[in-house]
Amino acid sequence: MLTDFLQLTVAGLSQGSVYALLAVGLIAVYTVRHVINIAQGEFAMLAGLGSAWLTASGMPLFLAILVAILTVTLVAIAMERLIIARVKKLTPLISIILTLGVSTLLQAIMLLIWGPEAKGVPRFPGTNVLIGGVSIRSQEFWMIGALVVVGGGIVLFYEKSRWGKALRACAEQPVAARIVGISPVAASVLAFAIAGLVGAVAGVVSSPIYLSLWSGGVLLGLKGFVAAVLGGFVSFRAAIVGALMLGMIEAYVAGYVASGLRDGAAFLILILVLVVRPQGLVLKPTAVRV
Amino acid sequence: MKKSRLRFIAPIAVVTALALAGCSTSNLGGSSPADPAGDSGPIKIGAVLDVTGVGASLGVPEQNTLTMLAKQLNADGGIGGRDVELIILDDQSTEDGAAKATSKLIESEKVDIIIGASRTGPSLAMRPLAEAAKIPLISVAANVAIVADSQWVFKTTQNDVSVLETILNDAQKKGYTKLALVRDATGFGEGIADYITQLGADRGITLVTTESFEPSATDFTPQMTNVRGSDADAVIIWGINPSAGLAQKAYVQLGVNKPVYHSHGIANKAFFDTAGDAANGAIAAMGRLLVTDQLPADNPQRQVIEKFQADYSAAYGEQPSTFGGHAFDAWHIAVNAIDAVGTDPAALRDELEKAEFTGISGVFKMTAKNHSGLDASALILAEAQDGRWNLLKD
Repeated sequence: MLTDFLQLTVAGLSQGSVYALLAVGLIAVYTVRHVINIAQGEFAMLAGLGSAWLTASGMPLFLAILVAILTVTLVAIAMERLIIARVKKLTPLISIILTLGVSTLLQAIMLLIWGPEAKGVPRFPGTNVLIGGVSIRSQEFWMIGALVVVGGGIVLFYEKSRWGKALRACAEQPVAARIVGISPVAASVLAFAIAGLVGAVAGVVSSPIYLSLWSGGVLLGLKGFVAAVLGGFVSFRAAIVGALMLGMIEAYVAGYVASGLRDGAAFLILILVLVVRPQGLVLKPTAVRV
Repeated sequence: MKKSRLRFIAPIAVVTALALAGCSTSNLGGSSPADPAGDSGPIKIGAVLDVTGVGASLGVPEQNTLTMLAKQLNADGGIGGRDVELIILDDQSTEDGAAKATSKLIESEKVDIIIGASRTGPSLAMRPLAEAAKIPLISVAANVAIVADSQWVFKTTQNDVSVLETILNDAQKKGYTKLALVRDATGFGEGIADYITQLGADRGITLVTTESFEPSATDFTPQMTNVRGSDADAVIIWGINPSAGLAQKAYVQLGVNKPVYHSHGIANKAFFDTAGDAANGAIAAMGRLLVTDQLPADNPQRQVIEKFQADYSAAYGEQPSTFGGHAFDAWHIAVNAIDAVGTDPAALRDELEKAEFTGISGVFKMTAKNHSGLDASALILAEAQDGRWNLLKD
């Protein structure tokens, strides 16, 4: 019984790590530009399909992954420069419509290039381990590790580095930030680059187990969205915790209740949070939105 | 500020939900201006396939096969001097997409016969439309419910019941008495648990646990954890790729260590692409396409299959899958019937009920009672080993 519970927990944590990376990307963009990026999940699929294609055509695994991650980061920057930056008065609704357009465009491009079938990146090096009857797949270490390194790195970057602080300043006091000489253009580009980077990392580390599919980004992005809502769309830490919880709840629901209800769990949580605690897990109800 | 936050996130959630609902629109299907049906002009054959979506690993080879066969037929002068126009529509692997596409084929394209859909769910959605319009429909999906008591609907894929019989006979021979089932949650997996219980009763086999998964599922830990905890002797995974391949992979990685059987839903290369080394040792019941080289030289299907393999790989640079074979059979059964009696729907239907054809999926013998035309003799068992299937019995 305990073995089963722990097994589900491992699956939930690794799946939750992917949601957490996507949530980090969503929040990075939202705090700086107040843009809800519907295309966040497509970044993951684009990187997954891209590196699957590169490795299939003979490129070494880690080089292919690196190329895919860099390319997707550039795609995210291009999206900011060519589309988001050109809108004079960006409301959240316009941002959703714009990024939805980008999401659909990316899906169509992936469908045209790589076809409708799901593809997977080869498994990363490592061995599966069995601890007390609980089997942990080597790829699950990579997924959780990616969250710790990349997600953790971005949280540290925001909290400790000069540039990170500048980004937060743009989010909290855009006018004051501009007065003290922080470029809103650079901040916006950086935020989208982070979104592209974390999305791509999530896509490549999960691809060996979960595969990448042209249409797979929508649901994945939505799970990241639920996690971001748990973080009130401002707190990386709360969103990461929320994402891991979401992954575990999904695994428990699928294991103990019915696997068909798995995706329903995420949306039930979304509705409950919006009704009961729309400010997310951590903010006090009266806190100023930053 | 609390209020402004509330006001703000709610519409976002709504729009996001709408975006999700509206996002999966794409159509790879070709179409052409409507042409009145009649005895002159091209013969119109419609097809509704899972070209995109969860059934793409079935629909794509089916689309390739039909396109290739239509080209071949027209190059050879069509049917009785009339060209054949093939209209393929993509149902996006959805039931409503299949129904819409079927209505379009019947009402605006005025097709003479329809092939499709790739999977059971969409095929069941097409059935009442074909029955009402009195247009012959040949499905390429498995569940016997598609043709049960049908007037106008036929199918070319081996019945799921025959597949289960083949698997259960082997399980009985090996002395397994308790089976676990991990099945596709859509129409393809519907009723499988009941069939196992019924068929197992005569063989001393009971079903101890049933788990299900959506064809779009990516994580199978919960299902496999439950199977691991059960006292089953062997497991049947009943699904299509990529989900069944992912299930197989999770099955091995989670160390379930019980023998595993698969249905004919996985008989394509995607199974090996998805499951990798984890596929080794899996046993599947399937048609003879993937083990042609291991068949006795006098097998009646061997020549047909080898020609299909040669043509398909010449056209597409890869070996055909079982699903292309289902489409091949449906196409030839349709074309043979049109060749014999023309396009009058009632005459065509009567002719289809007499169809006999040595095809890829088996040797067909349709009757008024049996609109599927195949029995368990169309199936073999094969074991996966290093990217190929080894014939176990024939």
